[in-house]
Amino acid sequence: MITISNLVKYYGAHCALDHIDLQVNKGTILGLLGPNGAGKTTLVSILNGLTAFQQGEITIFGLPLANNLEAIRRRSSFIPQALALYDKLTVMENLRFFAAIQKMSAATRRANIDAALTINRLHPLLEQKAGTLSGGQKRRLNIAIGLLNNPEILYFDEPTAGIDPELRNDILETISSFKNQGKTVIYTSHYMPEIEKICDEVAIIDHGRIIRQGTLATMLQEEKGDAAIIELLPAENKLLAPLVAGLDDVELVDGGTLIMHQQNGLKMGRLLALLEAEGLAIKHISYGTTSLETLFIRLTSPGRSHA
Amino acid sequence: MLKAMLLKEIILLSRDKQALAALFIMPAIFILLMSLALKDTFSPERVLLTYALVDQDNSAPSRMIRETLQHSKVMAERPVTITSAAQQEELLNGSYHFVLTINEGLARSLASRQELPSALLQVAAAADLKAEMLTLLQAELAKAVLQLRLTLLQTELTALLPEMAHQLTDIDFDGQDLINISFNRMAAEQRPTSTQQSVPSWIIFGMFFVIIPMSTIFINERRQNTLMRMSAMNISIPALFAGKIAPYLVINQLQVWLMIGVGIFVVPLAGGEALTLGHSLIALFMVSLGLSLAAIGTSVLIAVLAGTVEQATTIGGIINILLGAIGGIMVPKFYMPPAMQDLAAISPMSWGLEGFLDIFVRGLGVEAVLTETLALTGFGLGLLMLAGLIFRAQRGRTA
Repeated sequence: MITISNLVKYYGAHCALDHIDLQVNKGTILGLLGPNGAGKTTLVSILNGLTAFQQGEITIFGLPLANNLEAIRRRSSFIPQALALYDKLTVMENLRFFAAIQKMSAATRRANIDAALTINRLHPLLEQKAGTLSGGQKRRLNIAIGLLNNPEILYFDEPTAGIDPELRNDILETISSFKNQGKTVIYTSHYMPEIEKICDEVAIIDHGRIIRQGTLATMLQEEKGDAAIIELLPAENKLLAPLVAGLDDVELVDGGTLIMHQQNGLKMGRLLALLEAEGLAIKHISYGTTSLETLFIRLTSPGRSHA
Repeated sequence: MLKAMLLKEIILLSRDKQALAALFIMPAIFILLMSLALKDTFSPERVLLTYALVDQDNSAPSRMIRETLQHSKVMAERPVTITSAAQQEELLNGSYHFVLTINEGLARSLASRQELPSALLQVAAAADLKAEMLTLLQAELAKAVLQLRLTLLQTELTALLPEMAHQLTDIDFDGQDLINISFNRMAAEQRPTSTQQSVPSWIIFGMFFVIIPMSTIFINERRQNTLMRMSAMNISIPALFAGKIAPYLVINQLQVWLMIGVGIFVVPLAGGEALTLGHSLIALFMVSLGLSLAAIGTSVLIAVLAGTVEQATTIGGIINILLGAIGGIMVPKFYMPPAMQDLAAISPMSWGLEGFLDIFVRGLGVEAVLTETLALTGFGLGLLMLAGLIFRAQRGRTA
């Protein structure tokens, strides 16, 4: 359904996407996972024809993107992270407007609006101005607008950023339901549990490169290793940095997480004693690569290391 | 698509009270206030000078001078008894422009044909009396004295040559029979009134205020990624801009006709003169469409360049006021010195104003406003193209 070959994107001298190759099959929910600035949003923008690229080939629905942008856009939809709607228009006015600017018959428009309202449970809020909706209701309207052309491919750019867990689950369930309708979803996020929950496949992107792609199970199986990840309770980075600097094979990532790449009992014992001596409390220790989160940290840590 | 854009923009605007006030209420109030405030300025027979007269001679000649001055259309005597120099000063610091004193000895001097050593007429003028008003005052006084002398001469001639009496007619300086001067004044209905001058000025000023709501909506759309979403829905930059141009063309036309309505119906209710439309509605449409494009072009360019709504409204407001000040909206161009009048030519508001004045004041038609219309249209389209190029570059679209 989506094939990306050798995609290169530069912003000036900065390489945002570095020879990306990616394949997404029909009906898949692909999680595009990466730290901030990794290139996720750039990739999604390119797939929607919103950003130009310097090199590479992209085909969507078997059509080259460069020559078929309009046709491809009619069959896909981009749901941006920001609430791209009009606060001063009502829910219905927003939906009518965004439906009316897309090419479709009046009957299809009516049906698609109704379907978008139903999926996002917005019927009771039709006459309410978007600006007066709760954060969650706005998110649902943002998604509803993206469904107005009944797309075959949906691109979600961090759709749950800044919302509470209950609403997050609600949105994730909605997105999961698209799979049953045969839709393909590209879902960008840096929340690992979300990706684990709804995605069939994961592509981990870092520094503009896809460093792993596959099903979650395969990836975890392949990447099982000897690393230990030690998460600390909130501690001051300036305390940790000099401490870790003196340790062999231990790396500090994200200010409060330590990775011991080749763990053994002796090394671990020393580290734990040192942490105790410094009064630093441990929140969690995991051995091997048992979750997407630990895999993600291990794969992307070199670029984010503070040690 | 255009219909949806138009509807969206109008709904958003209708829910923005400040924008509605800036677009419709502000120019309507300006039209009403300025038409009434400048009513006398454009009246051909208005009083320019107010004075007090102290007649110390109290003679037939002094009364004749007083009567002649009282016939003046530009001066008005306000009778007052002056008892001290301090009171006179107080009057001149107040609403009196000058105090004329006819000194004792005027009649005697005229009878003896001998000038008295001191001045017969004495004028104490207010400190802020403008030079042109002083010249006018001197002319009116000279006219009164000449009238007096001619009347006396006529009396003497009649006494010397009674047989000529029937041939000597009274000479009246206020009439036009002193010498055959041809005055080609505009017909009364063509004369500019304050309403004819004010309505076009404030229509134009109001039209350019679309900068505020348009840039506010545009920047919010960009900030909230609504523009990006529309792009992802296959809305091209020209279509996006067309979606901005069409609603504001309609809004600008609404402004024009509502303000014309204020000039025709509301200003007379408040005591001003009613607006008359001139003879060419087509010319009116041409100029207003040209102005609309110029205002929209300016608005879109500001919206594209400004980073925030605050920047856009500040920059837009300043540009609007500057263009208005330079372009003769706030101060009519004929009050400006020549250098400023030349400078006015750089303001599109001035082009529009000239076009409207051709229609409303000079009673001209399509041919007369063609140059202004083309200039405004070219200006507007030029800015729209520039805004389009900048917007395209901002979005990093090279494909």
